[in-house]
Order: sequence, then C-alpha cells, then structure tokens
Amino acid sequence: MITFWRGRRTRLLTAAGAALLLAACTGAQSDDGKDAAAGYDPAAAVTLTWWTGQTSEAEKVAEQLAADYHAAHPNVTIKTSPGAPTTDELLTKLSAGFAGGSYPDISYAYGNWAGDLGASGRVQDLTSFVADPSFAWNEMPAAARTVATVDGKVIGVPALVDNVALIYNKKLFDAAGLPYPTDQWSWEDFRTAAKRLTDTATSTYGTAYSVSGSEDTTWHLWPLLWQNGGQILDGKQPAFNSDAGVKALETLRAMAVDDKSMYLDQTDEKYGPLFNSGHIAMMLSGPWSLLDIKEAKLDYGVAALPGVNGDHQTVSGPDLWVLFNHDDANRAGASRAFIQWLTSAETDAKWNLKVGNLPLRTTEKSTPEFAAYVKEYPGGQKFFDNLANAKQARPTLAGYEVMSRNVGDAIAKVLQGVATPKEALDEAARKSADALEG
Amino acid sequence: MALTFAATPRTHQQDVVPRPRGRRGRAVRRSLTGWAFAGPATLVVVGLSIFPAVWAFFISRTKWNGIAPATDVGWRNYQRIAEDSAAAAAAQHTLVLSALFVPGSIALGVLIAVALNQRIRLIGFYRTCIFVPYVASAAATGILAGFVFNPQFGAANEVLRRLGLPAQQFLESPGQALFVICLIALWGEVGFTAVVYLAALQDIPRELVEAATVDGAGKWRVFRHITLPELRPVTVFVAIWQTITAMQLFDLIYTTTRGGPMNSTQTVVYYIYELAFQTQRLGYGAAVAYLLFAVTMLLTVGVIWYSRRRGTEAF
Repeated sequence: MITFWRGRRTRLLTAAGAALLLAACTGAQSDDGKDAAAGYDPAAAVTLTWWTGQTSEAEKVAEQLAADYHAAHPNVTIKTSPGAPTTDELLTKLSAGFAGGSYPDISYAYGNWAGDLGASGRVQDLTSFVADPSFAWNEMPAAARTVATVDGKVIGVPALVDNVALIYNKKLFDAAGLPYPTDQWSWEDFRTAAKRLTDTATSTYGTAYSVSGSEDTTWHLWPLLWQNGGQILDGKQPAFNSDAGVKALETLRAMAVDDKSMYLDQTDEKYGPLFNSGHIAMMLSGPWSLLDIKEAKLDYGVAALPGVNGDHQTVSGPDLWVLFNHDDANRAGASRAFIQWLTSAETDAKWNLKVGNLPLRTTEKSTPEFAAYVKEYPGGQKFFDNLANAKQARPTLAGYEVMSRNVGDAIAKVLQGVATPKEALDEAARKSADALEG
Repeated sequence: MALTFAATPRTHQQDVVPRPRGRRGRAVRRSLTGWAFAGPATLVVVGLSIFPAVWAFFISRTKWNGIAPATDVGWRNYQRIAEDSAAAAAAQHTLVLSALFVPGSIALGVLIAVALNQRIRLIGFYRTCIFVPYVASAAATGILAGFVFNPQFGAANEVLRRLGLPAQQFLESPGQALFVICLIALWGEVGFTAVVYLAALQDIPRELVEAATVDGAGKWRVFRHITLPELRPVTVFVAIWQTITAMQLFDLIYTTTRGGPMNSTQTVVYYIYELAFQTQRLGYGAAVAYLLFAVTMLLTVGVIWYSRRRGTEAF
C-alpha cells in the first residue's frame, strides 16, 4: 500500500513538474517597450553569437569579416557559425533556441519568417536605430525595408536583396529566328515566343514553372497579380482571388495547359538545371541562378519581367539580419554596431558582391567591386536596375506560410489542368482565412 | 537449475533474520544495483521518448508556431482534423499504401524465402543480394529510384520504349506516383520479410514434413497444410511490423516526390511533417500525430488480441 501511494505521489509530482516545464517551454518573454540598447557602453567587453545561415565559401568570407571587426574593435568577440546545416533549418534552430533560452544575438532569416519572428517577443525594436541619418536606411530597396518592418516595428536589417527577372537562352532564340526579349515585352509576347520555342522532338520548352506547391510556386504569381492591379491581402483577409488574381493565373494556365509550352517542375530543383542544359528557353528567376548558369557556360541574357499595360513590376525576396534581445544593453548595442558596419556600403561590397549577390545599397553602384561583379555576371547590371521594379513586398504577417502553401497548391492544380483559376484561388482563400486571422 | 535459484534467497532470509539492519542494507544495495543497470536505459527512454511524447500532447492542445507564445485552444485541434479534407486525403493515401504494401511484402517475402530455402549453388550470394536493398537507407533508395523513374531520362521508360509501350510519367503523374512509391518501398523492404520467413521456414520440424510426405501429400499440399500454418505466428508479427513501416513511411516520400504531385503521395506522416515543420503549425501537427499514434496502437492491440484468441502468440 505504501509503495502504491508513494508511486502515485511521485507520478503526480512528475506530471506537475513536466507541465510546469512545458509551460515554460512554450511561453515567451514579454515586451516591456524599453529600448534594448538603452545605456549601451561601446567600450564594454562583449561576446556576440552570429548565425550566418551561409555555407562553405560565403561562411568563410563571413568568418573573415568577423575577424576583421574584432581586430578593429578588440572588446567585441564574435562567435560565427552557420547556425544550421541549411538556411531553411535556421527557423527550427531558432525556435528550439527560444524554447531552451539560448539563441544568438544576430541571425540570418528569410524575409517570410519576419512575421513569426516579430511575434516571438525576443527581437530588438530597431525603428529608432535605423531612423538615424548615419544609417542611411533609404539607400536600401523599399521592398526590403518593408519586409524588415513588422506591425510598424523594424525587427531586422536587410541582409540580401534580389528580384525576379526574365533570363533567356540566346542560342535557342537564334535557332528559332526570334528576336531577344526586351524590357517592354507584354505577357502576350512572352506567350507567343514560348510557344514558338517549344519543340517536343528535342524536349525543349519555351518556359518553366514549379508546381511543387511551395513558396517557389507561389511567389512567381505575385508580380502578375500586382501588374494586373491586384493585392495579396486586404488587411488580414485574402484578396488574391480577385479578378486580377484570376486573370494572372489564367495567363500561366493558357501556356501550361493550352499551349503546353511550359515545363511543369514537380520539384523546385529541376527547371534550373534544365535551363542550363538548353532544354528551357526562358526562365523567371533571380540573381541566385547566375552562378550556375555561368558554370554551365551558357550564353544568356536578362530582361525585366513581361508586363501588363506597361507595368513591369517584379517581386523581391529579401532576407534579413534579425537582432535578438537578451536583456543586456551592451550586447544589444554591440550587435547593432556590428550590423551597421556589416551593411555599410563599404563592407557590403566585400560581402554580398563578393559572394555573387546584388549590392544592398544604391551607393555601391560606383564601387570597383560592383564593376567586377557586373563583369563576372553579365546579367548583374540588369538585376540591379530591376530592383527599381520591386515596388511591393510580400506580406510579413504570421500565417503567410500557410496561405503560401494553399496558393501553391491552387496554382499547381490549375497548371496541371484539374481546376479553373477562379475555383482554385477561391478555395485557397477560404482555407487560408483562418490562419491569417492569427 | 531453476529450483536452485528459487531456493537461494529463502535460505539467505533465514540466515539474515536475526540481523535486521544488515537485511535492510542488503535490500537497498540490491535495489541500487538493479537501478544501476536499468537506470541509464530508463533515463534515455524517459528523456528521449516519454518526455517528448508528453510534451507533444500538451502542444497538441495549443496553437503554436514554435516562435510566438502558444495559445491554449483545448480540443479544437482535434475537432479540426474531422473537417480537414487534406487530412482525410492523407489518411486515404496511407490506407491505400498499407493495403498494397503489407500483403505485397508478405506474399513476396514468403515466395522469396521458399526459393532461398532450396539447396542450390551460391545460395549465400543470393540471400545477400535480396537483403542488400533493406540495408541501404530509404533515402538512398529514393534518390536512386528518382533516376530510374525519371520520365525524360530514366531507365524505366527506356525499358518501356524497347518493349514498344508508351512512356509513363511515373512519379510525376498524380495517378501513378503512389503506386510507384509502393513498388520502391516493396523493393527496399522485401529483404526483411524474406529473411524473417527464411528463419521461420528453417524452424519447421522436419518430422512434420516427412510424416506428410509419407502419408502421400504432394509438394503443394505440404506447403498448404504444413508450411503455411507453421508460419502463422511469424505472419502476425510481420503484418504488424510492415503496417507500422507503411504508416510511418517518410524518408522515401521525402526524397522522391515530397508529397506531390498535387499532394497525391502525401501520407499522414508526411502531412504531419508539412504541418509542423513546413508551415509551422506545431499544435495542429501534434494533434494529427497523436491521432496517428492512437490508431497505430489500436491496430496493434487489436491484432495481438485476435492472434492470442486464435492461440498463436507472436509477441
């Protein structure tokens, strides 16, 4: 009997302890509204943890930069690591870090995580910090600044900017006797060319689209939606299933289903290599593709996205440096100083341009590093100019991921001919409403 | 032997009765020794299995994205599963997969085991060959299958072309992908069932077979009336094991189709992965995971109960 009671009590205690621990794990810190770096002493000795989200070459550059910074500021030691094996896994690592109470001072983050990270209550509010004229916040592209801002609060600093443009294979255009795409192309021009370039005998397609249903599927639709005058959201309500959205998706459907001039990639990974091997004539992609194309020694050109009534706006997928709050003014202040240095025009030229990305700031245009970048990647200049066409940003609210998945599934269904644009987008909107409400 | 063991403590007890302190100390020491052996394993099980399982239950009653604070929603996540068409579709895919995979792997396993039970040359080599795919990781199997079944450049379509048959889309066709995955899974897993059945076949008493042969039974009747009934306990075990394998199939799907095309290969486990780690709906994902756990548990208990009633004990 005694053992029975003792056993039961122990079990009760264990359960209660577990419940308490769990409550602690799923909870979050409260935001007290005080500036994280108030009372920062620039001379204090601090150690910062920096998760770069980079692999191999870029990580080496990052470590070198951290070492340079330490040499110039001996009181600041920066522990640099990729943080996770791939950038995608950083979010999982961060959430585990929040649960365990050990998260970095600075972490790389995809722009579409901004809403979730902003809601964590563990990020620094950088609004007044970037407003300081010395930071020159306005030198960064507007779309990137918007993504870094969640509910009116700046939670990070853009780490990488890009945009989507039309990359084409010159050889295939020459063989078909077609003129190269121009910045003034309409989607009708694009469709006509894609149809002419498609050749089933050599399994060559005019263009390609990912139908995996991931964000890669979804975000290629947004520029078309915006060009047609549509919006992704209206407040917190889905608005992508408007007439503009239906028209945008119909443009793609006509190519995929009626013309069969669009290679439908069930993964996100095949259309890049197929473009590089000359089986796809035109690809809607960003500067990240340039390295692989260069290695494939392909003769290529870059043009702005085709447009609707002269509107050629594109979508940008900026990534961020998110700064976290550890209730330590010196660490907060030191991480801000480091990020200001890292994203300054002078350092960024040694960082983003060196690893093959677009420059963060417009002022880098005149640097020798930019000239070298454009020489190495002939399409780089066009992508840089195309930043001006990135006028709108993807929403940063929590729940975007769920909505993105639903829209991706809708696009996949339509392009594979099993649903009409209207019914697929309506269904996606209906399924997403709950998650977006928050 | 057993008698001696049982007798030892009793004689000791008589010895020890006059010295109560020593007896208690000995009991403590004995229990400590026991825990010293069991402790590390218990810690691992509690820390790495039971604690996360209990935690997952608490998470399943919240709305949580892993980052922002969790909000308690009671049983709403479980109620939502009933209305979730994607979950129903995932359950259907899992059922189809299990219904094809479990009987398929058992039938193929018996067939191969009988073939490998013959006295022929190089039998060891053949046995190794059958088992190699099982040793290879499912991830490697998946990547390999991705090459074989590639619609444009794969070997499978090349074979079809030589046979004069039309080329197929395989993993890229919503109608075929699930069956192709089942085929790949069978290729990978059949080595396991074959080895288990091979062991069971060699355990069948030779007298039974000889007696039947003497009584005039042909090869088929020996197989039908001696071999198959003798394999029944192993079959219960293999059926449960393969059902669990089919229900938890993840790595193969991840490396081949990622649940596509158009979610046609999205099984329950893959759906949970997508909920929890792709779209960060940890609470809802945990609820679906708990439902899957309950179903697997019920199924296992049901099969064990049935087989005990039939008098064949597999566990």
